[in-house]
Amino acid sequence: MNKITLRKEIHDKISDIKEADIVVGIPSYNNARTISHVVRAVKAGFAKYFPDKKTVLINSDGGSTDGTIEVVQNTTIEDFQSILLYHRVEPFKIATPYLGIPGKGSAFRTIFEIASALNAKACAVVDSDLRSITPEWIELLIKPIIEGNFDYVAPLYHRHKYDGTITNSIIYPITRALYGKRVRQPIGGDFGFSGKLANFYLTKGVWETDVARYGIDIWMTTTAIANNFRVCQSFLGAKIHDPKDPGADLSEMLYQVLGSTFDLMETYQDVWKKVTISQPVLTCGFQYAVGLEPVLVNLDRMIDKFRLGVKELMEIWKGLLSQEIIDFLHRVEELPKEEFYIPDDIWVEIIYSFATAAHKKIINKEHLLRSITPLYIGRTASFVIETWNSDASEVEEKIEQLCKMFEDKKSFLIENWG
Amino acid sequence: MSNFLQKVIIEPFDKFLDKVLHFLPNLLSAVLILLSGIVLGVILKAIFLRIFRAIRLDKFSERYGVVEILQKGGVKEPVSLIISRLIGWITIISFLIISLRSLNVPAIERILERFILYLPNVFVAAIILFFGYLLSNFIGRAALIAAVNAGMKISGLIGRFAKLAVFLLSVTMALEQLGIGRGTIVIAFAIIFGGIVFALSLAFGLGGKDIAKDYLEKKMKDEEKKDEISHL
Repeated sequence: MNKITLRKEIHDKISDIKEADIVVGIPSYNNARTISHVVRAVKAGFAKYFPDKKTVLINSDGGSTDGTIEVVQNTTIEDFQSILLYHRVEPFKIATPYLGIPGKGSAFRTIFEIASALNAKACAVVDSDLRSITPEWIELLIKPIIEGNFDYVAPLYHRHKYDGTITNSIIYPITRALYGKRVRQPIGGDFGFSGKLANFYLTKGVWETDVARYGIDIWMTTTAIANNFRVCQSFLGAKIHDPKDPGADLSEMLYQVLGSTFDLMETYQDVWKKVTISQPVLTCGFQYAVGLEPVLVNLDRMIDKFRLGVKELMEIWKGLLSQEIIDFLHRVEELPKEEFYIPDDIWVEIIYSFATAAHKKIINKEHLLRSITPLYIGRTASFVIETWNSDASEVEEKIEQLCKMFEDKKSFLIENWG
Repeated sequence: MSNFLQKVIIEPFDKFLDKVLHFLPNLLSAVLILLSGIVLGVILKAIFLRIFRAIRLDKFSERYGVVEILQKGGVKEPVSLIISRLIGWITIISFLIISLRSLNVPAIERILERFILYLPNVFVAAIILFFGYLLSNFIGRAALIAAVNAGMKISGLIGRFAKLAVFLLSVTMALEQLGIGRGTIVIAFAIIFGGIVFALSLAFGLGGKDIAKDYLEKKMKDEEKKDEISHL
């Protein structure tokens, strides 16, 4: 196994630093435009909230060609008085290209390895395209570990009602129903974790799978919950990030995230089959309402894509969905936009049927997971129509109802799983 | 006159009758061998099917991904049934060859000899066709899903075209292996394949020029209303 810590310059740097209390990692790929703000926020967070701790900032880069690493190296806080600090505390900084297959997960692995080599007590990772990150995020992700003895801190954001739709319609409800912990943003992207948990992550041989890419977030959260690490969540405010998303291909995102979720269901089937109820997790941080940027939605195009899927992919779906669902999909395909609606129970049954089909290897996994895209788009369109005039709390209530449906129908999953 | 009739009709007829009488026992034994081969084939098929089910061959092949490979290719029958059926057919074909040899007809023996020498080619061609079929289903389905996810109205056509193209390629390779129309087949395939692509280009260029123009205009002017939903 190639280890980043075996690279001479990294080895020398680790030898210089020796040990660290806190490590914060920033994975990046061509984020020169936004990473400076993130680096400054992290540095200010270190200076403001952990002035007496030995801190290290790691930039794990995927081979950027726009000078991201140089931006990280050169970013400093010019005016510490603006954040009410009168003594300058410079953290150690390591900016390095990561090893392994290209993806966020490989970047995280490098951060885990360096954190482990430095014997870090608390770690955090934050996205490099964040525009809303503040120094307080570092406090909120790290303090529960240092002072509260938690092992994993998931983020909790205020997001636009149509932001994070894979999270809201699949990942949050299914994770909650399977593993019994109400972690609202299991794939939020910004996490805090203990050094002990970082070492545990490194013992797992998953770095050649989809975990090395988009699957890393759900893998970290599920691994922490399923292995009984102490989990909490911290309210970070709004999540606003750069619109340039490297994973613009929706079916690729679904394939990687759902693929990792279903793989984890195989790994931890003895754990989730025993879970019958879900429990809330401790939420740290002061919650407040925030203004959010509007999100444009093209409903006609979404419904067209759903109809095209029903017309062309029905032969594939027939092998895994019940006749009742098949009949329903044919009916909803005919409905006009105003009446277009995919109810919670149908959606839950679809997701559980796909999970079972992946488990039973009914068809090639990649084909199976990519074929869910039109159904997901249809469900998202239905959700948009249903919540068009709803405010944030009403939307949250709808998501809560969906979660309960996932929990109620878990027996369907267990029966079909075999 | 009677001498003439004796020489022209009766003697040849006697000879023919003699030969038929000599041949009949061989024919009978050939038919018996073939019939016993068919019976043995059916029995062996049933026995092996039971044995394979007893040793849970289907579970074993499922665990090692054989079922997945077959299902990817659209073959839905269990592995135990496929192999036992194959054993049955090999038995029947073997007995058919033995029965034909027992006829003691030189012409048939020569044909059989050539046939046996040709068999490896048939076997390789069958394997090429089998894997070509699996691959064509796999590629066709991948192309269909990709086209649907890209929102292409002609995704069904794209999937079928991809499937057909891969299967045609495997047929060409199989025929090449069998030595049927060497060169001609490859050229014919190239002409047909090139022709289809050319026809599609022409159809799109002439028939779909307005659609292409509208599409490009929309893209260039960014008129199409895009989603800003962040899925993750």
